[in-house]
Amino acid sequence: MTDKTKDNGNHSGFGCPFTSRRQVLFGLGGAGSALAFGAFPARAEEGDGHQVTDAPTGLNSTLERVPFYGKHQAGIVTPRPATGIMAAFDVVARTPEDLETMLRKLTERIVFLTQGGEVPELDPKLPPPDSGILGPVVAPDNLTITVGLGASLFERREFLTPLKPRTLQRMTQFPNDALDAERCHGDLSLQFCANLQDTNIHALRDIVKNLPEYLVLRWMQEGDVPVIPPKPDGETESARNFLGFRDGSANPDSNDGILMQKVVWVGEGDGEPQWAHGGTYQAVRIIRNFVERWDRTPLKEQEEIFGRKKDSGAPFGGTRESDVPDYTRDPQGELTPLDAHIRLANPRTPEADDNLILRRPFNYSNGVTKSGQLDQGLLFIAYQADLEKGFIAVQTKLNGEPLEEYIKPVGGGYFFVLPGVSGPDRYLGQDLIEAVSTADTPI
Amino acid sequence: MNFTRHLRAGALAFALSTTALTGAMAQDASLDLVEPLAQYKIYVAENTAELVKDTEAFVKAIKDGDVEKAKELFAPTRTSYEAVEPIAELFSDLDVSIDARADDYEKGEEDPTFTGFHRLEYGLWEEGSTEGLDEYADQLMEDVKELNSRINELTFPPETVVGGAAALMEEVAATKISGEEDRYSRTDLWDFKANFDGAYKIFDLLKPVLEEKDSEEFLKTVQGNFDDVYEVLEEYETDEGGYVSYTKLSDEDRNLLSTKVNTLAEDLSTLRGKLGLG
Repeated sequence: MTDKTKDNGNHSGFGCPFTSRRQVLFGLGGAGSALAFGAFPARAEEGDGHQVTDAPTGLNSTLERVPFYGKHQAGIVTPRPATGIMAAFDVVARTPEDLETMLRKLTERIVFLTQGGEVPELDPKLPPPDSGILGPVVAPDNLTITVGLGASLFERREFLTPLKPRTLQRMTQFPNDALDAERCHGDLSLQFCANLQDTNIHALRDIVKNLPEYLVLRWMQEGDVPVIPPKPDGETESARNFLGFRDGSANPDSNDGILMQKVVWVGEGDGEPQWAHGGTYQAVRIIRNFVERWDRTPLKEQEEIFGRKKDSGAPFGGTRESDVPDYTRDPQGELTPLDAHIRLANPRTPEADDNLILRRPFNYSNGVTKSGQLDQGLLFIAYQADLEKGFIAVQTKLNGEPLEEYIKPVGGGYFFVLPGVSGPDRYLGQDLIEAVSTADTPI
Repeated sequence: MNFTRHLRAGALAFALSTTALTGAMAQDASLDLVEPLAQYKIYVAENTAELVKDTEAFVKAIKDGDVEKAKELFAPTRTSYEAVEPIAELFSDLDVSIDARADDYEKGEEDPTFTGFHRLEYGLWEEGSTEGLDEYADQLMEDVKELNSRINELTFPPETVVGGAAALMEEVAATKISGEEDRYSRTDLWDFKANFDGAYKIFDLLKPVLEEKDSEEFLKTVQGNFDDVYEVLEEYETDEGGYVSYTKLSDEDRNLLSTKVNTLAEDLSTLRGKLGLG
């Protein structure tokens, strides 16, 4: 099972970095060759040009595989599949050696789960090594598992404290938040994304089973995004959130390697520890939507709150979702209200480019509240090279927005996503562990 | 003391002389298990005898209307039940009656069929009174005596005994680490200790058999995890040999205990297979 593409999110700027992003898996055990019919190579090509928030097309196969090895972890500029789980853990690892063992084991499990393969057979008198929910051969199903570290992991361990990424911090309460302690923070985050939710659940259970000595599950949130079959003209659109609006329309182009290097990836000149280069900050928010109330709000008001047309996703004055609003011609907010969500979040000024973030959210539905209302909302996930200039600055601009009447952030956390793993002889976070053992902090 | 010693001799004689027990074992498992199983039966018999004795004192305090005394006796009385839960649970009617929690009932504390230790705990801590508790106390006494006599007549299924070590860890992992077991009294750490003791006893008795099967690394790992658990629990012991309130357990230690419990559950879940039991 070798990959032709070894470089995740290559940002060299030469050609499209995603040519073989969605690797088709052949020869996956006996089942692989039987199922690998000719349609898949074409699918791999179709992935080109897709944005992370494009609605999944629903044409995916469980045999599709996202390469694990690369400069960056997968699951960030990778087009978002239909389902996701965000899980946060507390880590029990008192020494650098414990942490290294944990990271090695975690890497080993992620390689297996994302690349797929046969589950070993054991004596039936013993508990099986795998939950079996995907059958005897684990299909990769476009699974990505993205590992992030929370501020608490660094702050509670003296040997890690000096190595904490510059803007990594504990998520604080914004004015409209009603944070539930049981759904906040964590030492480690795992973002699972796959075509099928069962694939994420299988992966989560595998990791829980294989790393019980290190990981205590703190909270998790499942989500998904609606699948939209591609249009005949090949046009793609962003998936809709549970307020019925397209979400991700103004995302920076995730296929633009140079832009991603600036917006998403930590690198030279960011003032970050050397070990963190190639990583990114992850902001996670569980944002409840008051959907009953929203559905009782006039359409015109809904659109003014967002600043976009609900049906097309186009900004006011435009016709297509991809149209860019020109606020310089609307200084008084006569067309797009000054406090519209999209205008506050991104006023389209040159300075606002510093605050760009890459959003990659899922919708969630958690059942019923005590009041008999639907507990639904957005599992917001965003990536940026600087947490303060990114999510924190954007959310601060949004404080007090009219949308607040309909949403309530209740959980989440901030994490630093580790750089990618360059090859099979390496493990996630190796540069961090090696930085611990060198006397001075290589900043 | 005399009573216990007497019982120990009796139980041993019983274990060694019961053909049903040895017959079943010869059939299902290696003969190596005869001795550990006999020893375990003694351990369980000692605990249930202790449970009867302690429950008598606990029930008396309630019926005397002595809230403070009853509160003092609540946690230590439970420990001998918690230590042998895998066997006690074989009698599900009694387990429900003795040890069910309010959330096992749709109506919670108000449910008239909510009985046993936790109903009494609720009365003593939440209502601060023994009023209305007499009938629950009498019921508990009756149930505990019944449990004792049923266990003494029981042929211990080897897979239940061997699997019991993991079962105790599953119990802690699923419903105790959260601190929901003794939610009124916050005496959860007493139960933790008893559950770990019960699991460790099984592991300890099986050690010689496991050693023969060349599982040195496994034994070392499991022993190490038990040692770590006891080390954490020791920090929360009081001078009187009891435990502080569960609310005093730090998040860090709860996480540590949680990882140990789950790791033990993973490892101990292989015991039955390692010993060739179904």
